[in-house]
Amino acid sequence: MQQTLEQKPPVSPKVSAPPMAPTFSIPEPAQMPVSADYKTVGVPLVENAKFAMRDVNVFYGEKQAVFNVNLDIGENEVIAMIGPSGCGKSTFLRCLNRMNDTIDICRVTGSIQLDGEEIYASKMDVVPLRARVGMVFQKPNPFPKSIYENVAYGPKIHGLASRRVDLDEIVETSLRRAGLWEEVKDRLDAPGTGLSGGQQQRLCIARTIAVSPEVILMDEPCSALDPIATAKIEELIAELSQNYTIAIVTHSMQQAARVSHRTAYFHLGKLIEVNDTQKVFTTPDHALTEAYITGRFG
Amino acid sequence: MSNTNKKAPARTMDLVERSLARRYGAEKRFRFYGVISVVIGVLALALLFWEIFSAGLGGFRQTHIQLTLKFDPDVLEIADARDARQVQNGNFEGVVRAALAERFPAVLDRGGRRDLNGILSIGAAFDLRDKLVDEPELLGQTRTYWLLADDDVDTYYKSLREGNAFTARTSEARQVWIQELIDGGELRTQFNTRLFTSGDSSEPEMAGILGAVVGSLLTLLVTFILSFPIGVAAAVYLEEYAPRNRFTDFIEVNISNLAAVPSIIFGLLGLAIFIGLFGMPRSIPLVGGLVLTLMTLPTIIISSRNAIKAVPPSIREAALGIGASKMQMILHHVLPLAMPGMLTGAIIGMAQALGETAPLLMIGMVAFIMDVPNGISDPATVLPVQIFLWSDSPERAFVERTSAAIMVLLAFLVCMNTLAVWLRKRLERRW
Amino acid sequence: MDNLNLNQHISHQFNEDLEHLRTQFLEMGGLVEEQVTDAVRAIETADGSLAEKVRRTESEIDRRELELDRQCMMVLARRQPAASDLRLVLMVIRATADLERIGDEANKVAKMAIALNEDGVSPRGYVELRHIASGVLKLVNLALDAFARFDVDSAKIVVRDDSLVDQEYRTAIRELVTYMMEDPRSISRVMNIMWALRALERIGDHARNIAEHVIYLVHGMDVRHMPFKELEEQIEKRNGNKK
Repeated sequence: MQQTLEQKPPVSPKVSAPPMAPTFSIPEPAQMPVSADYKTVGVPLVENAKFAMRDVNVFYGEKQAVFNVNLDIGENEVIAMIGPSGCGKSTFLRCLNRMNDTIDICRVTGSIQLDGEEIYASKMDVVPLRARVGMVFQKPNPFPKSIYENVAYGPKIHGLASRRVDLDEIVETSLRRAGLWEEVKDRLDAPGTGLSGGQQQRLCIARTIAVSPEVILMDEPCSALDPIATAKIEELIAELSQNYTIAIVTHSMQQAARVSHRTAYFHLGKLIEVNDTQKVFTTPDHALTEAYITGRFG
Repeated sequence: MSNTNKKAPARTMDLVERSLARRYGAEKRFRFYGVISVVIGVLALALLFWEIFSAGLGGFRQTHIQLTLKFDPDVLEIADARDARQVQNGNFEGVVRAALAERFPAVLDRGGRRDLNGILSIGAAFDLRDKLVDEPELLGQTRTYWLLADDDVDTYYKSLREGNAFTARTSEARQVWIQELIDGGELRTQFNTRLFTSGDSSEPEMAGILGAVVGSLLTLLVTFILSFPIGVAAAVYLEEYAPRNRFTDFIEVNISNLAAVPSIIFGLLGLAIFIGLFGMPRSIPLVGGLVLTLMTLPTIIISSRNAIKAVPPSIREAALGIGASKMQMILHHVLPLAMPGMLTGAIIGMAQALGETAPLLMIGMVAFIMDVPNGISDPATVLPVQIFLWSDSPERAFVERTSAAIMVLLAFLVCMNTLAVWLRKRLERRW
Repeated sequence: MDNLNLNQHISHQFNEDLEHLRTQFLEMGGLVEEQVTDAVRAIETADGSLAEKVRRTESEIDRRELELDRQCMMVLARRQPAASDLRLVLMVIRATADLERIGDEANKVAKMAIALNEDGVSPRGYVELRHIASGVLKLVNLALDAFARFDVDSAKIVVRDDSLVDQEYRTAIRELVTYMMEDPRSISRVMNIMWALRALERIGDHARNIAEHVIYLVHGMDVRHMPFKELEEQIEKRNGNKK
């Protein structure tokens, strides 16, 4: 047996592996040009849009950060935004509750509608807007106050609870939904900053849902957390998606694959592809998406 | 070439080792320079403290003379001790003179008598009057009291105890009487309570710093009440609201420059505006406080801005992200977090204001004022100015009082800085 | 998109892992192809030793199947591949099974060769056998070729031609059944040929499976259980989208 194999090489010459490089060389994906009037591939628009964005451009001073984005976010949908660093996904996310307003040189053009209401209209008040569109940030940022105060702050300033009992109930419900109640119910007066990183992030999520938003924006919510804490947050996102519309920016493609229904890929400020998450991670439509999610660059 | 390359690792180590001694030497020297600088600083501080303490400790003791006094209604010309007007005009000096004459019966000539009377302060008579007011039944009785000695006696006695008697202002006869009193145990030093309970006086033994301390406190109160809210409000506006443009840049540069302007300029400004233009009276803590407000504002604004800048942006984002308005964000989150820094800055500014002399000279707080001020519109002086005044006085007894006042001032400054540290520790929260 | 750029990952180790998978698979394919060739030749030439050799190679193929499975699992666990990488690994896992089954079928053909040697030569069926065998060999060869070059056109040809082989197989069976009815004495010997034909037909099906996996690998379309016409339309549509 061994002898026969040695006498004749097992690979027939006809099908021996051809050298890879010459056959499969294409331009470096990262350098592939994307034209200025690029049109997103996949399914950027959906039927029951909660958020509808048309021709959104974002500028930082002279520099343009986001180009002509057309995208819908459906009701109770989890949409993940992925892309290499500096591709404009966070900038874009922060347009959705006008957090970019705090940056003087930031300018947004185009139309962003929440339930058909133009959020960049002059009559739109950002305070109720941000109550409707909550945000969870990259670094857990609880207020340096007690756990209770952290969650109760939003309802208090918005006047959602007039009596202490109501407020207690809101705090408990929010903490329960954020999966934190069992861990903190005995120490609601302890400072929120004393919790572990993952608990702090869940506290921030509880704080966000305490004002009953319709949409929750998450800007890399797990990038500062360990894998266990990350898993808990992802679990939480799955649960929250039953009641809330969620847009999440993440650097972890696996995370996007795990938690989202649709995935949007951004590249150099352009929205390259939007598709069902399953499709993006098995058979993406665009070469750049493919190159990014398979780790060719980014 | 290749040969050297091959040997490179070994040779690198040789080179490193050769340079090691030099590097360690340089490092040692570098550390030595630092130690020298610290030593010089510590020595200077020690010298200052030694100088002030050695000169000033005596200021807290005052020489007193024991005398047996008879509250003789005839001498006092008081018939009823409960009649305030009669007591006010009573001839207490006569009682003192009579007691002295009794103690030294040998002195008979007029010049000698006047010299003898001079060993007691004129304040002794005022003390007796106060005692009679407190205890009207003393009238007609005989009591033994420790009475305030004159500053020359005080100076002579203290210098005598130190071994080199200062005799320039003490006559031969007095030296004999003093020696007699010392031998009889009738002359001693007591704690100088008057230093803390009375205002300024031209007589060193009667001079105190209470007026200056109260004046300082009133001035600082005005300064704090005005400068802290104004400074914080300005800092909040500049940090949170002001657009970034040439105009705000210009303001920013000028605030920094203002912090470096010599304080006497602020005095001139205060003189021109508050006294000249608004016609406020001179020498009052209100004007002093206004001037010091102008002076401390830049410090408070700069430190408050730094404290506000130090609040992590994530906290602001968190507040805005759940729909807090900008004002709510500032009031609920930014200011509480910035408060320790702002308070520390304010207290440092206050400490600076407490030690300030020059601008107050310009607005007339350098006047000789005996009364303790009762409000911000009473004429007053402040501690550093008091120190300046005393150090300018010719009487030798003022020298130790100057140092004593400096020690009090230093104690106040240390207290304020301690308060600043304590407040910071207390209010500071980790996030 | 038709190019997979296996060598362009940021992680060189990942490149090497995938490249290794690919070459291992092709080596196994080469081995299986040789086995089929040998088995067919063994029947045609009634060469017992060649048949024995085919049966011995079988264990080597099983070993390689296990090895490839292990490597695929490792890549899945360590790299969490996505998109084309994921499809490559999935394809290798599935196609390895098909290759192993081809090996099994070749083994059966070899067994028939030995049986024919012992029972005596069959009076009929060699022409059909040779014809179908050459067709099937071409299919296997083309399928492996399609994988080696990620060539959808070759894969399409395999899918198309497999149905031709199936047709020929049915014709041959009908013919041999007729023959057996005519001459019952030859039944046992003709049955051996029929078994061999049946094995070859199965090999063709597996080759078709591999070709379908190649289409999945390259285009990301699952074309299993799909009539050839529809398959062609879908590929057309996809290419149209691309351009």
